[in-house]
Amino acid sequence: MMEGSISNRMRILRFHNGEMSQAELGQRIGVTRQTIAAIEAGKYSPSLEAAFRIARVFNLPLEEVFQWDAQATH
Amino acid sequence: MPYREKTAWLSLIAMAVTFGPYFTIVAMRSLPGALPNLRQLGLFAVAAIAQMLILGAGHLYLRRGSPEDARTPADERDRAIMRRSISCAYYVLIAGMILVGCVMPFSSSGWSIINAALVMIVAAEVVHYGVVVFSYRRQT
Repeated sequence: MMEGSISNRMRILRFHNGEMSQAELGQRIGVTRQTIAAIEAGKYSPSLEAAFRIARVFNLPLEEVFQWDAQATH
Repeated sequence: MPYREKTAWLSLIAMAVTFGPYFTIVAMRSLPGALPNLRQLGLFAVAAIAQMLILGAGHLYLRRGSPEDARTPADERDRAIMRRSISCAYYVLIAGMILVGCVMPFSSSGWSIINAALVMIVAAEVVHYGVVVFSYRRQT
């Protein structure tokens, strides 16, 4: 099985989008500020739906917001 | 601190200050185990009512402190944490109920069985709220 983790560029994208706050982003996609903080810190992986919503807020395709950092194992 | 973590702390504290003393008194004093034993029943009633009062006052206080957070519906992470905590508590409760319902009747009776059931219910609740607090602390 290929192991890895999900990383994201949400913090920098928020900064480039008028220094959008975590609370504002959370409000726009329907989650709490704490959940946005957890996603940014890589502590919580959002559902596919929430990930698409986040990408839509930034007007970017999903893979430009979220990346899969693979670590191949045998 | 998220609102739901605060309410989980409140529930843990309420249980500690009500059922903690209840189980301590039950364990220290040798109250008669036969039913109905109104003294024992009264002690349980005091613990249960005190817990309800603490929870009621605590929730009221927390709602007044952050009404916005209290109104916010649970999001997907809150629901994931809730699912995890309930499934952990389920195993504690089911193990306890097997012990109390299938094993203890062969060796005990009366209030011993009731108190053992209460211990297992409180333990399941502690696991439930403990997992909620732990999950919010590590942000998962």
